[in-house]
Amino acid sequence: MRRSLVLAGAAITALGLLTGCAAEGDGQGAGKTTLSVAALEGGYGRDMYTKVIQAYESAHPDVDVQLQISKSIEDEITPNMKAGRFPDVVVLGQGRKAALTETLIKDKALEDLTPVLQAKVPGEDKTVGDKLIEGIVGNLNTNPYGDGKTYTMPMYYAPTGLFYNKGLLDKKGWKVPATWDEMFELGETAKKDGIALFTYPTAGYLDSYFFSLLADVGGEQFYTDVMTYKQGVWQTPQARQALDLTARLLKYAAPTTVGYANEQDFTKNQQSVLDNEALFMPNGTWIVGEMADAPRADGFAWGLTPLPAVTEGGKRYITTSVESVWVPAAARNKDAAKNFVAYLYSDEAAKIFAASDAIQPIEGVAGSLSEENAEFYKVYDDPSVAALVGGFASTAPVKGVDIKATLFDTANSIISGDKTLDQWQAALNGASEKLRQAGG
Amino acid sequence: MPGDPPGTLPRTRPRTGPRTGPGRAAGAAPRHGGAGSAPRRRGNGLFVLACLLPALVLFALFMVVPTVNVFRMSFYTWSGFSPDMRFVGLDNFTALLDDAQFVRAFQNTVALLVVVTVVTMGMGLFLAAIMTRQRLRGRTLYRFVLYVPSVLSVVVIAAIFSAVFDQENGLINGTLRALSLDGLRQVWLGDQDLVLWSVAIAMVWQSLGYYMVLYMSGMASIPEDVYEASALDGASPGRQFFAITLPLIWQNLRTTLTFFVMSAVNLSFVLVRAMTGGGPDGSSEVLLSYMYKQAYTNSSYGYGMAIGVVIFAFSFLVSLLVSRATRREPLQF
Repeated sequence: MRRSLVLAGAAITALGLLTGCAAEGDGQGAGKTTLSVAALEGGYGRDMYTKVIQAYESAHPDVDVQLQISKSIEDEITPNMKAGRFPDVVVLGQGRKAALTETLIKDKALEDLTPVLQAKVPGEDKTVGDKLIEGIVGNLNTNPYGDGKTYTMPMYYAPTGLFYNKGLLDKKGWKVPATWDEMFELGETAKKDGIALFTYPTAGYLDSYFFSLLADVGGEQFYTDVMTYKQGVWQTPQARQALDLTARLLKYAAPTTVGYANEQDFTKNQQSVLDNEALFMPNGTWIVGEMADAPRADGFAWGLTPLPAVTEGGKRYITTSVESVWVPAAARNKDAAKNFVAYLYSDEAAKIFAASDAIQPIEGVAGSLSEENAEFYKVYDDPSVAALVGGFASTAPVKGVDIKATLFDTANSIISGDKTLDQWQAALNGASEKLRQAGG
Repeated sequence: MPGDPPGTLPRTRPRTGPRTGPGRAAGAAPRHGGAGSAPRRRGNGLFVLACLLPALVLFALFMVVPTVNVFRMSFYTWSGFSPDMRFVGLDNFTALLDDAQFVRAFQNTVALLVVVTVVTMGMGLFLAAIMTRQRLRGRTLYRFVLYVPSVLSVVVIAAIFSAVFDQENGLINGTLRALSLDGLRQVWLGDQDLVLWSVAIAMVWQSLGYYMVLYMSGMASIPEDVYEASALDGASPGRQFFAITLPLIWQNLRTTLTFFVMSAVNLSFVLVRAMTGGGPDGSSEVLLSYMYKQAYTNSSYGYGMAIGVVIFAFSFLVSLLVSRATRREPLQF
């Protein structure tokens, strides 16, 4: 009898230990809504979130906002998400390595945020949709299923393109190339001075380059066809032209590019631009902060240009990176979450974000930029340049097929000569076809 | 021969009488206290069980259940989050056969496994033998220096090797330039034919000291007089190594071989992730890094788990083969 008591006691202790690990307070105070917000700590820092949340809480005393912020936020929230505990609001864009946003899009696990566009910004008369700049919603980035419903709200936007040293070009008297022919001419000229025309931090940074190039070569419709895996799209002359131009450009790549194109050394490729060893590299506006403490050539100044036009005077597209905010479909406090998302577009919040150089796609915000940043946003002023948002359409996951890797990483093999242009084109065609069959 | 043993027993011990039977005959008649000992042993068993239960529950919950889950998930298509999982049978496994990148990752893993094991083991044994047999000056310092890498975190190692392999001013290329051997300079992490061996060098560097210390402890327990006797018979140090040291630490070697299999699979993943990210263009991808990419980045959780099952089966099989192939009668001194 005593033995079975001991046994039962031990079993209860063991189970108690286990449940102790799992049990968690519900967090629901008396009448107070607890809103859990998860955000990626990007180049803009974490302070702006704390300030925005403070401002929100003082206007909404019945809401308690819990912020979880980290540079690898995916690793921190996914274990709970797998156990069914989702954050209410997540600020996290696409194109991250962990691809959490993409995964949830593929899963149709996001809440429809179209009502937020029509909702009034808390404390203001305008609706969220009215305040946003034109064309920022309604693309594959915000409406991933192309059905007119918005699932991810655009949070901050920034131009990406070719970054270069303005000081060097001025000093040498070189013009920023407007067409590809001029680009390659400059490549030859620079070569004589021992400067490489092109480099990239890692092949993954070619995303903005390729998206712009595809639109430059074949127009917006062609770009959309590629992004939605239209049958045979990679066998078209336009696709071949885009790959041809790239292969020609890669011939001018700095010899150190591939050896440094990894997580550990990519800053050395970026450094080669600062050291006047390479002219252009695809990158985003965060480069300024990222390399702020790096040594640089005399008279160095960051410049940003869209890709050269394919034909003289042709339209040029500048890939615009847009970070997103979204609400998981399984969130507990969806209404409070939507209200909070709407608040993020208020003048009050926008001001706090802009102070950290995080520019929201709200009319008039770009005016409040710091000088260096304002320079970058000027690319939008050129009438022949148009913003391009989006990326590959989401499909059901296909085993072993990653078209981004096929499109970007192969550049490493093109430079080293391990793969030919034909192999590249064939691989892209194969990957695109498999994704097309998987459907949207 | 069923009739034989029962027939012999009564005959050899006829005096115990037919009543006790052959079974009781072997042991003496039960002593008085013996009657209580059986239940007490049972009581101990329950107590031991009760003590073990928490550990067993934890083990089952955190080891057995997840492992079974890996096997179960490999038969499903699942993105990782959604409630809809679709049973696809062996589809994930058949897809693996057509996946060129998977085959490449597999080849890379096997290559690393073989090369790193052979080199680390060879060098580890050699160094351990020198350290224990030759009275080297400052061997404690050498041992310390060689052991340090095993204590470092992999991220630190990746940073160190990023400096060693740097194509411009790295330790290797810098030395080669200083020696005017510019022709031998390589882009260690950018050349698709070389990058895997660069990872292998880092792996050997990391694990060498650990195995050296393991072998040294094995060698230190071999009695000195065995060596003295063989030296009197005129055995050279080389002969002593192969005829005495190696056979006597054979069991030690077998154990470390199993470690090698596991550590090569695991360490290659962390190093590849920190150093090359599988690049350039997938040329240094190993099984675990490919599994991670598929399960998480490519949202094909089930497919990733199928790769996990392959890794499990492969490690298990290699360990088994190694253990079988190296089985010897243990030698005692």
